[in-house]
Amino acid sequence: MKPIPRRKFIQGTALASGALLLLPTLKACKFLETKSSGNYFFREFGIDETICRKLLAKALSKGGDFADLYFEYSVSNYLGLEDGKVNQSYGDISLGVGIRTVKGDQIGYGFTQDLTEESMMSAAATASTLCDMNATSVNNSFNVPAIGNYYPVATDFNGIPGKSKLPLLQNINQKCFALSSEIVKVNAGFSSSAKRILIVTSDGVQAEDLIPSGYVYASVVAERNGKREQSSWNLGGRRDLSFYTDEVISEVTEKSVNSALKLFDAIQPPAGEMPVVLGPGVTGVLLHEAIGHGMEADFNRKNISTFSTMLGKKVAEPFVTIIDDGTNMNLAGSINVDDEGTPGKKTILVENGILTSYLHDKISAKHYGVEPTGNGRRQDFQNYPIPRMRNTYMMGGTATPEDVIREAGNGIYVEDVSNGQVKIGEGDFAFYVSQGRMIENGKLTSPIKDVNIMGNGPKMLTNITLAANDLEMYHGGAGGCGKNGQGVPVSFGMPTCLVKSLTVGGTQQKGGKS
Amino acid sequence: MTYNKDQQLNLQELADWVIDQTKKAGANDCRVNLSKRRLVEINYRDRKPEVIKEATTQNLYLEVFINNRFAGQSTPDYRKSTLAGFITDVVDNANIMEEDPFRTLPDPKYYSGRSTIDLQLSDPDYNQITPENRHTMVKTVEDACLSKGGDKVISVEAGEYDETNEEFIKSSNGFEGSTKSTYCQIGASMTSKDEGDRRPAGYHYVSCRYRSDLPSLQEVGTEAATRTLDLMGGKKIATAKLPIIIENRNVARVLYGLFDPMFAGNIQQKRSFLADKKGEIIGSKLLTLIDDPFLPRALGSKYYDGDGFSTKKRNLFTEGTLNEFLIDWYYSRKLSWEPTSGSISNLIMAPGTRSVEAIIKDLGRCIMITGFIGGNSNSTTGDFSVGVIGKLFDKGSFVQNVAEMNIADNHLNFWNKLVEVANDPWIYSQARLPSLVFDKVVVAGI
Repeated sequence: MKPIPRRKFIQGTALASGALLLLPTLKACKFLETKSSGNYFFREFGIDETICRKLLAKALSKGGDFADLYFEYSVSNYLGLEDGKVNQSYGDISLGVGIRTVKGDQIGYGFTQDLTEESMMSAAATASTLCDMNATSVNNSFNVPAIGNYYPVATDFNGIPGKSKLPLLQNINQKCFALSSEIVKVNAGFSSSAKRILIVTSDGVQAEDLIPSGYVYASVVAERNGKREQSSWNLGGRRDLSFYTDEVISEVTEKSVNSALKLFDAIQPPAGEMPVVLGPGVTGVLLHEAIGHGMEADFNRKNISTFSTMLGKKVAEPFVTIIDDGTNMNLAGSINVDDEGTPGKKTILVENGILTSYLHDKISAKHYGVEPTGNGRRQDFQNYPIPRMRNTYMMGGTATPEDVIREAGNGIYVEDVSNGQVKIGEGDFAFYVSQGRMIENGKLTSPIKDVNIMGNGPKMLTNITLAANDLEMYHGGAGGCGKNGQGVPVSFGMPTCLVKSLTVGGTQQKGGKS
Repeated sequence: MTYNKDQQLNLQELADWVIDQTKKAGANDCRVNLSKRRLVEINYRDRKPEVIKEATTQNLYLEVFINNRFAGQSTPDYRKSTLAGFITDVVDNANIMEEDPFRTLPDPKYYSGRSTIDLQLSDPDYNQITPENRHTMVKTVEDACLSKGGDKVISVEAGEYDETNEEFIKSSNGFEGSTKSTYCQIGASMTSKDEGDRRPAGYHYVSCRYRSDLPSLQEVGTEAATRTLDLMGGKKIATAKLPIIIENRNVARVLYGLFDPMFAGNIQQKRSFLADKKGEIIGSKLLTLIDDPFLPRALGSKYYDGDGFSTKKRNLFTEGTLNEFLIDWYYSRKLSWEPTSGSISNLIMAPGTRSVEAIIKDLGRCIMITGFIGGNSNSTTGDFSVGVIGKLFDKGSFVQNVAEMNIADNHLNFWNKLVEVANDPWIYSQARLPSLVFDKVVVAGI
């Protein structure tokens, strides 16, 4: 086994030392261009086929259906601006391997940050303790699957001198203050990371990827007549520095500032059931919470999802088609390959109102006798993969956005949301409306803010009665989805659509009683 | 995990070396935090192991201060041969930051006065537990849950997680602190059959530092099943203004919306609706909250905070009056205020005299909130809105379970509606809070 040149590993964190980074960066670019023959972990850490075979054999030394290795090396950086100065720099390096033994739906898992053979064999031995049978053999050869390239980057973030990112944040600060004299505070941040992964499985898959991610955000506080409001916006995804143009910075700043100013006129809507129109884009978080989680196949094979008995059944009106997609270009949830070695795919969850597929990892795919859908994802090497969403969206309909709002009559219009949550078994979900408007007599009127919306996923699906032709994907990079203590980046998409009834949580009862 | 020879240095010697090297690389000051963790996790589902996980991790976090410029960075690699390059990188990163006169290590005077009380953070019997013991514990919890759940059970997952942590922190201006601690958690979640396609899922997990402080394992499993069965038939009711009781373990969720604006960072950044309210009454007379870092074995107990300040017991609210903000070193300098501490240890609210059951009998029609879903709290305005799950009572009699409902208010109104504190503090959390009763809250439903 080749000794590990850790100096390169350490150098990879530098924001400032562009010259020092030159060698690994050029290597990274070259590797990216010839991804299928990358072998990054061999070149940098000495991980070769011999040691992989040895680790897999150890993981299966007491039996099991299969085992896999997940090597990860990631470097992340954050730069923050506050009170006009870029005065915070934080960085993190993560290196290690997670080793999993699977028998049926049971998992043995060990991981180590130390890529010496001794430590890795110890982690493999931990994983093997799940079983107590005869050893299972490892495939004779490892094949590289054909995978897409949904986030090509010219230079990953580790190759970018930190100093070149500072003007982005200073630009945000200047633009926000220039947009309104009512802005009293601006915070801005630039987060970036480059993660390299290598997956090797006992059934003969060897897949490698370089995953960029990042975002830039602005968060502002506005003050008017002694009253303050705050708002923020971000843009990013799986992109390189070239994405963060002046146009992007303008969009981030204008959206943050205009949203904050609008809140001075915002009211609390009445509480209770009413029609809800979801605006295009980020409101797709409703699909994610109300439907997406319930369709993750681990919940269904355990029979604990409210959608467990609905496969093949009508769950929505015929115009409703919902997709979970790993193949969108540059979105936060896009994946060339999932964390079990299955190539990124597009999966139709609901087609013309019929529930057609769950989201599978290898364990659930075997349980249901179907192919994995490429949804086996994990936060990092310290965690084993589970079915997770990628980019989840609903296809647009034929109406115009104005038609949808008119059809609602009286209700609320949702523009920006956060903090979604779902109870899988009941299907009950909630999401928080940070920006929206009242709909009165089919027209948008007063801004609203800070209300939670509650509903039930299956009921909500059947209550989608109209969709517009304006599907929009969310291009943010901040935040993500949490499940079983693991966070992964995801995105959403939504056309303007009408849900005929959801519970809106306000402070006033209908009729104006407070 | 095994360590190479130079990784086996004791943490103190390594910290000294890192500080020395960082100063030689050009830093005026620095602080290094070295930590190690060993964890074990075992989960069972349907009477067989579902997950067995075990590992050791380590981390080095270095903060560098150079002429009022700052950078912080972490690495899992403890080897001196590679740390030299790491240190250079962190110093380089700090050098490209803009100068900020408030970015310094704290004044060492705040390091003094550390308590010598034995906080009992590390279970001396931690290493006595065997893999077989862990499996037996989980199976006991699972059996109890299955037994109580009976024919309503669709699935039961029971799990045990434990870890041991070691931390050593040292700064170039005289702070030194070390902590060894243990933590264990055990519990179960159950999914049950309900009307139609509804499958209510409930859970009960308890956490503590000493394994001997865990309640009876049968009790843990039984409670998980009971809490799940309590969700059966949950439906929303008409929107109404009612008294609500927030169950002890869920109080922290709402209370943190009141604490967020107390942090100096939010105050200095004008994101706090409490910024000008120190010394003012913002809640009812029953709102008395203490931050107590000195409770032996408690999950939030500590000798020093993130700045290295020696911890103190603090009266955050007394009879509704806001006494103190949460002020760390950096923002204390920006605000020109005296620092307190920028973190919370154990939140204590003195228990009342009556049980929840006794209180409910006197409330008429009321909702006992046993869970929250989604929601948010706006630190700038004080507005919050959150989904609720619970039980509807009328004069002490159970009426129905409720779901898909919501409460919303502004904290400056809400805490004035606090009318009673129950006698049941939840001890398996650093927020040791009893159930609280609020009057006249709009609960949104149909």
